[in-house]
Amino acid sequence: MTSPTPSATTAPMVVAEDAVPTAPKTPPRGGDSRSPGRLAWLRFKRDRTGVVSAYVVLVFFVAGVGAPLIARLYGKDPYTTYGQNTAGLLNDFGFPVRPNGGISGDFWFGVEPQLGRDVFTLLLYGIRNSLLIATVTTLLVTFLGIVVGLTAGYLGGRTDYLVGRVIDILLAFPSTLFFIAFWPVMISILVSPEDATPTWLTVVSLISVMTAFGWAPIARLLRGEVLALREREFVEASKVTGASPARIIFKELLPNLWTPILIQATLALPMYVTTEAALAFLGVGLSDPTPDWGVMIQRGAQVYQNDITYMLFPGLTMVIFVIAFNLLGDSVRDALDPKTRRR
Amino acid sequence: MSISRRNFVIATSVAAGGSMVLSACSSGGGGGGTGGSGSTSTAKYSAVSIGTADDSKGPAPEVTGARKGGTIHPIGPDDFSHLDPQRIYYSWNSTVGNLYIRCLTGYKIASGGAMKLVGDLATDTGTMSDDGKTWTFTLKDGLKWEDGSELTVEDVRHGIERGFASFTTEGATYLQSALTGTNDFRSVYKGPYGGKHLSSVVTDTAKKTITFHLRTARPDLNWTLAMHSYGAVPVKHDTKEKYDKDPVSCGPYRIKQHSVDKSLTLVRNTHWDPATDPIRNAYPDSFVFEFGPEGLQATDRLIADSGGDEFAVMAYSGVPAERIQKVLGTADLKARTVDGLLTGLYYYAINCKRITDVKVRQALNYAWPLEQIRRIYGGPSAGEYATTVLSPDIAGRVKFDIYGKLTKPQGDTAKAKALLKEAGKLGQKIVYTYPQGASDAYDKTKVVIAAALKEAGFDPVVKPVESTSYYDQIQQIDNQFDVMWFGWSPDWPTGYTLLQPLFDGTTIANGANNVSQLNVPWVNAAIKKDAVIADPAKANAAWAALDRQIMEKEAPIIPETYQRRYYLYGDKVGGGEFDPLFSAFILYKLYAKA
Repeated sequence: MTSPTPSATTAPMVVAEDAVPTAPKTPPRGGDSRSPGRLAWLRFKRDRTGVVSAYVVLVFFVAGVGAPLIARLYGKDPYTTYGQNTAGLLNDFGFPVRPNGGISGDFWFGVEPQLGRDVFTLLLYGIRNSLLIATVTTLLVTFLGIVVGLTAGYLGGRTDYLVGRVIDILLAFPSTLFFIAFWPVMISILVSPEDATPTWLTVVSLISVMTAFGWAPIARLLRGEVLALREREFVEASKVTGASPARIIFKELLPNLWTPILIQATLALPMYVTTEAALAFLGVGLSDPTPDWGVMIQRGAQVYQNDITYMLFPGLTMVIFVIAFNLLGDSVRDALDPKTRRR
Repeated sequence: MSISRRNFVIATSVAAGGSMVLSACSSGGGGGGTGGSGSTSTAKYSAVSIGTADDSKGPAPEVTGARKGGTIHPIGPDDFSHLDPQRIYYSWNSTVGNLYIRCLTGYKIASGGAMKLVGDLATDTGTMSDDGKTWTFTLKDGLKWEDGSELTVEDVRHGIERGFASFTTEGATYLQSALTGTNDFRSVYKGPYGGKHLSSVVTDTAKKTITFHLRTARPDLNWTLAMHSYGAVPVKHDTKEKYDKDPVSCGPYRIKQHSVDKSLTLVRNTHWDPATDPIRNAYPDSFVFEFGPEGLQATDRLIADSGGDEFAVMAYSGVPAERIQKVLGTADLKARTVDGLLTGLYYYAINCKRITDVKVRQALNYAWPLEQIRRIYGGPSAGEYATTVLSPDIAGRVKFDIYGKLTKPQGDTAKAKALLKEAGKLGQKIVYTYPQGASDAYDKTKVVIAAALKEAGFDPVVKPVESTSYYDQIQQIDNQFDVMWFGWSPDWPTGYTLLQPLFDGTTIANGANNVSQLNVPWVNAAIKKDAVIADPAKANAAWAALDRQIMEKEAPIIPETYQRRYYLYGDKVGGGEFDPLFSAFILYKLYAKA
């Protein structure tokens, strides 16, 4: 005996895949003959803001990944203190001699005050490091949040209660304070007092702590959504037809949750860039000479009265990135969920 | 010459030569401020003299234009590490100590910084006899504690004896050593809590005199006794370790409220009689210290000068490098600054216990990037390169430059590498430490230091220590640091006050100031010999010679800079004066304008 459900769904899928290549120029109408994914892609492509944002975000990631290559072509690195080594770049107060933060043919974005490093490569590597940490953290946080939130919401009862209390504790926990107190202790246990703290350890611990304290809000949000969704008719229907919990979760619940997930994730990524910078400022995150985007902005805020250019580049790139990333998130959500069209 | 007390305030000093012409750039490039800065000509060393009994009579001369009342708000990055007089040695603690601690002698500071040693609790600066082995002081009348009880010679003696207790290791030890004749004075006398008094200190309650019978001659004991470590403590109200939390005042202000790391409120001590005090004025009704804002933050608040900050002063952290250009380039800001030269020396102590090879220590001296470090501090205006242990204002100091730091301030990494190779120590690991959180500048200098060390063939490891526990950690004898940021200013202007505490091997102990842990017989012997030379000129020459020998043969430290520091005060604060002793505001001379 065959269950009627699988055949019912697979049939249109096959049709959809066949239909698209044969009629590529036909404008999509109602999505009757296309897969949801393809439809979303088509909708996304028509959203100009989304596409532009996607390119901007892409550029940032490419710049981050390709930082060593770009720096090599450009001929500078973010560790050499050019201003200190070469006379005439920094004045007696440690600020760039040339106007606009020392911008020149050699130093496209100027020279860092005091240490005299090259701002362009510093920014590239800063973006690279910050994006790496923030992206990994966001992915982990989102994944954990989805898993915990769905589990709690779907199972309900005792599990929900337990998870709920854990989330309460985490939300109430002063994570930054905890990190500041815990960090030196952990480092002194893991690293011999005669060795430098390896950068990878800093990065890993940053990511783990931010993840450990970061998943709670997204999990709580999703739990609420799931609680509402699981009583809906289509979930009831699939239960009646004998669908497995996995199927219900992945095919019925999850597709309806992409909107909050995407919003949360797009908000989280820039937030983690700044969180990580704040931690660095408190002496527990990345520190010089490791370049960091957030640290650069903080440094810029300290010297802006004498050298506004140094604040401009990291600040501007950060603004552009955050805006582009949020717009991209919006567009993706719109594309996935046709009911929430903005137009 | 100036007399100052040891260890600098935890802060960067960033300074500029007075003759420098500054462009008032508000944005963009900093402009080429490379014009000649006559920093040597701006050095103002204050005159020091010993006052008479008349000078020791109160009240203190009025500050012109001063007005009583109001509140002054000093802002500092960290809370005071100690309030117990016997545990105070750092100058930043002494800044507040001035308000509630009184010693037998003290410095009367004239406008402009000239200092006169006068009797504070004592009627004069003491009577010396027996070639400096016996000293007698007589107490003034009308001295009272904050509860109204009389301050007696017993209280003065109690303050001295507390210096022997097991919990007062942070304080000065000159007097204790002189009284017992040994640096291991705690084994001779364990403090006043066993019920025993020190036989070498004799008090006469009826005559109000206190007499010190020293084992070793100290012709300069009256200077020593001006240190807050020898401040009086009431026998009746001594709470031992807890006294650090709530000391009893005999000065113009008493501690009303102290939230650790947040704030400290001092209010008027009504039992203080200005007629007994030749040193202190007391114009504001209270002082409310705020702890937390770093130098930069405090500077920005004082530049903005609003929301109560009109009454604020920078307690002990100077204007940082990021703002010095702005502050000195804006006329009305510059008018709200006080500045002065620090008397001592900033240096990097090399742990001689771990780095035993002199060649490696010399290589470190050659490699150290002084120019880069000073540029981060603010350039030539921030101070001058140091090459000697004795600072320029020490009597008899002879300038020398063994490691070529004046000709090659950026560091001679090639020479350092050659030396290292010769010693067979290429790739020698160097654990460098500095106080983190005290100033951004050290987070920057570590980068150039590590770069220079790497270039010279070392394997640099940077291990910052949180600033409030920094000194406690590096002053442990079994610490695991090789090179430690440190600073020292002399307790009075003779070579003894620098070379003895820093390089006498017999003083090595937890919490002691021989951070280099140099323990070489010939140095120890020379210090012992030079300390008792009666003729000042001969003594000075001997110290200068020892200075050179130590740097040449042992290289236990890397001298960095003699620095200048600027402080800002709010628009409604009057009487701003630079304290040549403690390198900060003279708090008791400040007043709040109406």
